[in-house]
Amino acid sequence: MSLIKIIPLQFSAVEELEKMLSIISNRFKMETRLSSRPFDMNPYFNPVRSQYNANEIIQKLVTTAGDENKIVGITELDLFIPVLSYIFGQAYLGGSAALVSGHRLHNNRYGLAEDPQLYSDRLLKCLIHELGHAFGLKHCLKPGCVMVSTTYVEEIDQKSDIFCHICQEELAELTS
Amino acid sequence: MDNNLSILVVDDELSVRDSLSNWFIEDGYTVDTAEDAKVALKKIEAYHFHIILIDIKLPGMDGLELNRRIKAINEDMIVIIMTAFASVDSAVEALKDGAYDYVCKPFDPDAITHIIRNASKSIQLSKENLSLQDRIKSLVNVDDIIGESEGILNVLEQVRVVAETDSTVIINGDSGTGKELIAKAIHMNSSRRFFPMVTVHCGAIAENLMESELFGHERGAFTGAQYARKGKFEMADGATLFLDEISTISMKMQIEILRVLETKKFARVGGNREFKSDFRVICATNRDLASMVKNGEFREDLFYRLNVFSIIIPPLRERVEDIKLLSEHFVKLYADQMNKGTRHIGKRAAKALQNYAFPGNVRELENLIERAIVIGSGDTVQLKDLPFQQNIDKPTWESIQDMEHHHIENILKKYDWNISQAAKALGVDRVTLYSKIKKYKIEKGN
Repeated sequence: MSLIKIIPLQFSAVEELEKMLSIISNRFKMETRLSSRPFDMNPYFNPVRSQYNANEIIQKLVTTAGDENKIVGITELDLFIPVLSYIFGQAYLGGSAALVSGHRLHNNRYGLAEDPQLYSDRLLKCLIHELGHAFGLKHCLKPGCVMVSTTYVEEIDQKSDIFCHICQEELAELTS
Repeated sequence: MDNNLSILVVDDELSVRDSLSNWFIEDGYTVDTAEDAKVALKKIEAYHFHIILIDIKLPGMDGLELNRRIKAINEDMIVIIMTAFASVDSAVEALKDGAYDYVCKPFDPDAITHIIRNASKSIQLSKENLSLQDRIKSLVNVDDIIGESEGILNVLEQVRVVAETDSTVIINGDSGTGKELIAKAIHMNSSRRFFPMVTVHCGAIAENLMESELFGHERGAFTGAQYARKGKFEMADGATLFLDEISTISMKMQIEILRVLETKKFARVGGNREFKSDFRVICATNRDLASMVKNGEFREDLFYRLNVFSIIIPPLRERVEDIKLLSEHFVKLYADQMNKGTRHIGKRAAKALQNYAFPGNVRELENLIERAIVIGSGDTVQLKDLPFQQNIDKPTWESIQDMEHHHIENILKKYDWNISQAAKALGVDRVTLYSKIKKYKIEKGN
């Protein structure tokens, strides 16, 4: 069965995610569901950095996988990997799990007025991007493609939430 | 992103190695990791990494010393030092030892992305620089090849026709006729001209080294193979491979070459990894390969694989009208090189050159003119500056072959049968001189 499951991990705006399900399903030609399961984030908190270790969370997520093809955790908490100061999301290329944080996607974090629609757009792009990695897609250089590598929120805003035709074809091959 | 770049991450923390590997793999780079300097050095000796990220604090040999060792092995490898804030001074020290840049851990995603992108650009520029340097060195324009005889014009027309194709070419001609020059002209007028022409002088490489020379070898493939090395097939990827004196290769090597020509795939000596290379082959010989096939000295299948397009360069004695143009060209070339005012060739000297058989072909003519410029004075090459003035006014031989025979005999006597010196004076190689001695049955006592 081809299935993507989105698991909120300390993420309150679940109604936002419900709006995204059909879009994600359309992008990956795969049924996409919201699912909840008990998951304690406290063991992954690093008090020195006041952040949560994304690598360790993903490793744990993989162990909770069920009948789905891919599982993607989504959280409001701030994520890091040991060598980087922050990340928007994380996935292992061709792996079964991905993780996305909305923590740094809010406009008010950068001294600007909060924009719920912009936040929602950014979140969707990050979800599709990390899921793309989990399906085996690498970063793309084609401007606008959702698989373009981004390290600033402004860069996320510059790209779309769709795959370029090359990534689309590659994804079709990877998922066939 | 340049997907062909390979990155080695050296850090004793598994989580750092994993995080960075994953980060770079998503960008399409080839990534490997090492937990300490010892493992890193082993990997660096066995494989060429373009970029190496090193944590400054490593167990055993530290990052600074590892950077120095890497620079000693290959100073072109780009080293990026990863450090904590507390050890920035050490990172600066690493920069003085040739490291490309440093980053403080933990770093922002955009910081490492920018450093790697800049390093990629730097690598690309170095490659382009080398490629352009090689290109300038080997620039040969068809129009720059000297000659107006029917023979050479025919050759140049064939060069124009075949250059644009990707066909294999055999260039046949006596020693000194300029086979390599014609090969360069084909290469420089082909779509592969932005890459160098990789030349293999088959006759100059010992049989036991030929395999390694062509296919390369992995580290430890044989005694003395301390480092992995690319072979000529690998180096010619995207370029032209020129196999000079193809007739000299052994039957065993002929089989190997045929296989690679057909598949364009090969493995290095001592290795299992399969390499693919896109090269065009041009080969040259002064022997009749078809006769060699008949005599069982050259494989028929390889001959037909190579003999897609054949160019025969006529010897200089068959295109006498080119001697004047070539002589004038060499006079200008060597006079400029030696900062001399020589610009002309005297009538008697020109006549002597015109009447000479030139067994060593254009190479011999070039050597004669170079010698004349060295010993001559004034603005004109005189007959006395040439080594054969005594015969010019009283030719006693009927045919050009007779002339060649007696000239070789005279030169051998002059140098007391020292083959190396005689060959040098004649402007031919020793093998050619031996074959001429055999052909004319010249004996020492005569």
